[in-house]
Amino acid sequence: MTRCILIIDDDPDIREATQLCLEITRGWEVITAGSSNEGLKKAISEQPDAILLDVMMPDMDGLTAFEHMQANPEISHIPVILLTAMAQPADRRRYTQLDFAAVITKPYDPLALADQIDSIFKE
Amino acid sequence: MQPNLPPQSSSLVVQPSSGQLDPFALLLHRMINRIRQSLELPEILSTTVAEIRAFLKTDRVKIYYFHPDGTGEVIAEAIHDRRLPSLLGHFFPVEDIPQEVREQFLHLRQRSIVDVKARQVGVSLLENGDAEIKEEIHFRPVDSCHAEYLSAMGVCSSLVVPIVDKQHLWGLLVSHHGSPRQITERELQVVQIIADQVSIAIAQSNLLNQARIQAAQEATINRVTALLHYTPEMQLEEALKQTVTALKGVGGRLYIAPQLPHQPPQFFTYGNQPLLLEMGQHGQAEMAERWEKDNPKREVGQQNIFPLIEQHLHWQTWLDMEEPSSQYNTIWAIADLCEAVMPSDLAMAFLEAQIRSLLVVQLQYRRQVLAYLTVFRQEIDVERIWAGQPDREDRRQCRPRQSFEAWRELKRGQAHPWSAADIDLAEALGNHFAVAIHQRSLYQQVCALNADLEQDVQKRKQAERKISALNAKLEQRVLERTMELQKINEELLRQIAERERALLERQQAEASLERLSYQNELILRSAGEGIYGLDTQGKITFANPAAVRMLGYQVDELIGAWMHTLLNHSYPDGTPYLMTESPIYATLLYGTVQHSSNDLFHRKDGSSFPVDYVSSPILEQEKIVGAVVMFKDITVRQHIEQIKDEFISIVSHELRTPLTSIRSTLGLLAGGWLKSHPEKSQRMLEIAFSNTNRLVRLISDILDVERIKFGKVTMEKTICNVADLMLQSAEIVQAMAEKAEISLSVMPISADLWADSDRIIQTLTNLLSNAIKFSLPGTTVQLTAHAIQDVEDIKNHPHLPVPPFPLPPPYLLFQVQDQGIGIPSDKLETIFDRFQQVDASNSRSQGGTGLGLTICRNIVQQHGGQIWVKSKLGAGSQFYVALPLSEPSEEG
Repeated sequence: MTRCILIIDDDPDIREATQLCLEITRGWEVITAGSSNEGLKKAISEQPDAILLDVMMPDMDGLTAFEHMQANPEISHIPVILLTAMAQPADRRRYTQLDFAAVITKPYDPLALADQIDSIFKE
Repeated sequence: MQPNLPPQSSSLVVQPSSGQLDPFALLLHRMINRIRQSLELPEILSTTVAEIRAFLKTDRVKIYYFHPDGTGEVIAEAIHDRRLPSLLGHFFPVEDIPQEVREQFLHLRQRSIVDVKARQVGVSLLENGDAEIKEEIHFRPVDSCHAEYLSAMGVCSSLVVPIVDKQHLWGLLVSHHGSPRQITERELQVVQIIADQVSIAIAQSNLLNQARIQAAQEATINRVTALLHYTPEMQLEEALKQTVTALKGVGGRLYIAPQLPHQPPQFFTYGNQPLLLEMGQHGQAEMAERWEKDNPKREVGQQNIFPLIEQHLHWQTWLDMEEPSSQYNTIWAIADLCEAVMPSDLAMAFLEAQIRSLLVVQLQYRRQVLAYLTVFRQEIDVERIWAGQPDREDRRQCRPRQSFEAWRELKRGQAHPWSAADIDLAEALGNHFAVAIHQRSLYQQVCALNADLEQDVQKRKQAERKISALNAKLEQRVLERTMELQKINEELLRQIAERERALLERQQAEASLERLSYQNELILRSAGEGIYGLDTQGKITFANPAAVRMLGYQVDELIGAWMHTLLNHSYPDGTPYLMTESPIYATLLYGTVQHSSNDLFHRKDGSSFPVDYVSSPILEQEKIVGAVVMFKDITVRQHIEQIKDEFISIVSHELRTPLTSIRSTLGLLAGGWLKSHPEKSQRMLEIAFSNTNRLVRLISDILDVERIKFGKVTMEKTICNVADLMLQSAEIVQAMAEKAEISLSVMPISADLWADSDRIIQTLTNLLSNAIKFSLPGTTVQLTAHAIQDVEDIKNHPHLPVPPFPLPPPYLLFQVQDQGIGIPSDKLETIFDRFQQVDASNSRSQGGTGLGLTICRNIVQQHGGQIWVKSKLGAGSQFYVALPLSEPSEEG
C-alpha cells in the first residue's frame, strides 16, 4: 500500500533530499510544502498518511502549525513527525509533551527516518 | 702606849741610896712605882689611896673629885677593915667645902690636919705667893662646923691634901681615921709627894684622855670623811649616823638648802626627829597634803613629810638670838631647849620628840650657807648618891651635916649639855660636811651637767641612730620608691605605648571603620543590587538606593514595613509565598543563608520583576538579630539568557539545516540507492556541495562575529585611500550585480582613512551585496561617501544624516543606497543582530548566513564608528557607515 507523506520545511534542499530518500527507499508518495500555511493546505487537501513538520519556518513555526492541525479534525488524526534542528534539551522536553508521533532531530539519517516512519505506520 | 710623861722634878725623884735606906724613901719609891705602873687614872687613884692608907695606916683614904659644877664626888677610896663607911661614889654638895677653903686649897696649897678631939687643925701652906715654901704645920682651933662635920662622919682625925691640875683645884686627897691620929710632917711630906705624883698622873691621864678623845674624834672625822669623800656618791646618811653617834645624840638631821631657785631642799635624818606642826593649827593630814604640794620632789633620805624646821620662818632668827659656840658664829650648842629662846612651836616639836639639846652647825663654804647639821640629845635622868640627904630647912648648909648616910637622888629629864669636845668635833665634822656638800653640789652640778651632757650625747646618739635609721629607712624607701617609680614609669611607658598603639590602632580602626563605613555606604549606595535589612520580625530596617529604586518606594515607606507583605514575594510563576515557606523567613528563623533565583518581587505600582537574591542572617554573638537581603533585578539577564538560548537554538538550527541536507543526500548516495539514478545522484551531490559551502560560510561568519566582537581579530589599520576602498568593494560585487541585473553606481572621494582596509572592504561589500540581494532587477545600488570635516560641513549637507550617537567631526560617512524591497520598521533595530534576517528563507536562498550585518557592525565599532539604516518598506534602504577621520597617533 502506497503511503503518502507530506514534508513541510522551508529549506528546499532538505525537502528535495528527504523526498527522494522516502521515494527511493520506500516507494512512498511524497508531497512537500515550503511553509506552514502551504503545508496546512496540502494536509487538508491531500490527506497524507504522515506529516514531517519542520519547526523553524518564517511564516509560522512548526508548533503553531501543529496546533492548527490538531485543531482541525480533518487532519488532526494524521500523525505528525516533528523535524527539528533545536537540539536543546529544554526544547526536546517541550516537544515531547505535545502529541507528536515522533520528534526527529536534524541532521537525521535518511534511512533511519524512513524506518521511524515505518514503525509509526506499523503502530 | 706609853704616854709622854713630863719630866719629874729631881727633888721629887726618890733614889734609893746604897747603904742605908730611908724607910719613907723606900715606901715612896714603891708607891710611886706602883702608881706609875698604870696609865689609867682610876687605877692610879685606887693604887694611890691604897698605898697611902697602907702608909698612913688610917681607916679610910679617899680621893675627892671636884666636878665642874663644884660638887664633890669620892672617886677612889681605900678603907681599912670597915672601920669607916664607904663613901665611894658619893656626892657632896658644893656647900660642904666653902669657896674660901677652895681658894686656900688652890692658891696656898693648904694642907690641913684636923684633930677633932683636940679641936685643932694643923695647916701647912705649900705655897704662899712670892714667899718661900714653908712646910711647917701651924695648928689652930678647928672651926666647930668643920669639927661637927667630921664627927658626924665618924672621923676623929683627917688629913686633906689638895690635888691641883694646872692651876685648877682638881680634887682632894683625904685620909680619915676613926680615932685620933697624929700626922707627922714626914708623913705629910710623903703624902704631898704622892699627891704631886697624882697631879702628874692626872695631867698625864688628861693628856692621854685628850689624846684618846682626839684620836676618837679623828677616827670619827676619818670615818665621816671617808663616807663623805671616798666614794663617788657620798654617803650622807651614814655620815650623819656616824656624826650623831659620835656626838652621843639620839638623832640628827642634815638639811641642805637649795642652791638654786626651784631646787628642792635635800634632807637627811637619823634617829629621833622633831615633828613640826605648823603653828599647831593644822591637822597632820592637811599638813602632809600641803607638804606634798610644796615639795613635789623629795630627795632620797627624806623621811619626814612634814615642814622642815630649817625652813621655819624663825629658825635662823632664833639661831641669831642664841649665843654661838664658835668664833665664826656657825655653831650653836643648845644645852637645854627649855632655857633657849626658841619659838614655842619649834620647841614643842623638839620636846615632843624627846629632844632636849641641840647642836646646830651651820655649814658654810666661803660664807655661803650650804646646810644645817643638827644633832639632838634627849633629856637624861641623872642619878646621884649623896653623902647624906640635904637638910631642907638649912638650904645654905649653915649647920654642919649630921648624917652621911647614903641618899640616892634621881633627877629626871635633865638636859645633857654639849662639851667643848663635842662642839669641836661638830665643828670639824661640819667643815668636812660643808666641803663635802659643796663638792657634792659641784659634783651634782657636774653630774647633772654630765647627765645632761650624757643625756644630750645619748639623745644625740639616739637622734643620730634614729637619723641613721631614718636615713637608712628613707634611703630604702627612696630606693623602693625609686624602683616602684621606675616600675610604674616603665609600666606607664608601656601603657602609654600600648595606649598609643591602641589609640593608633583605634584611630586606624576608626579610620578603617569610617573608610569601611564610607565604603560600605558607598558600596551600599553604589551597589547595583538592591540591599535591605530586616529585623527578626521581618520588618525592613534599612534599604539602599538601588533597592529603593528597584522597588519604586521612598526610603521612609520601606523602613519599618513588613517586607513579606510589601514586596508580595512570589514564586517565579507568580504564586505568592506563604510566610512560612519564604526562604527569607527561613533565614530569620534558622540563620541559614538562602539563595533563590527567579522569584518575583512586586513594585509599589503592583508590577513584578524577577530577582536573584541571597538572604543572610545578621548574627550578633551567635544570635540572629535580623537578616540582610541582597537582590538584583534579573529581567535583563533573563532576557539575555533568553536571547542566548535563542541564539544557540538559531546557530544550532542554522548549522543543522545544511547538515541535514548533506547527510540526507550523502546517506542516499552512500546507501547505493541512487546507483541507478545518475541524474538524481548528481543532484544530490550538488545539494550536498552547496550546503557544505553554506556550512563553511556559516562557520566562518560565526567565528568571525565572535572573534571581532571579542577583539580577537585586530584591525590592521593603515592609511587607506577612501576611493580605493570604494572601488575595490564595487569590483567584488560587480559580478553579483550584473547577475542580478542591478546597476552599481560608485562615486569615490579622495580622502585618507586610518583603517583596516580589508575589513572596511568586507563591510562595504557586505552592504553592497545585501543591497543587490534585496533589489529588484533593473534598479540601481549606489555607493557614496562624504568627508565631514567639521560642524559646518554637517550644516552644509542637510540631506546627510547625523550619526545616531554623537560622533565628533571629522568623520567619513559611507552610504549604500538601494531601491529594493525595504525593511519593515520593526526590524530596523534588529537587523544588525545575529540571524535577524528580515526573511531567513529568502536570505538563505540568497546565500546569507544572517551574520553579515552583525559582522559589519562589529567591524565599524572596532574602528570607533557607527552603522545604521534608514528604510521604507518597498521604497529601498540606505545603510550608513560613519568612521572617524582622526590621526593615527591620536588613535593610539
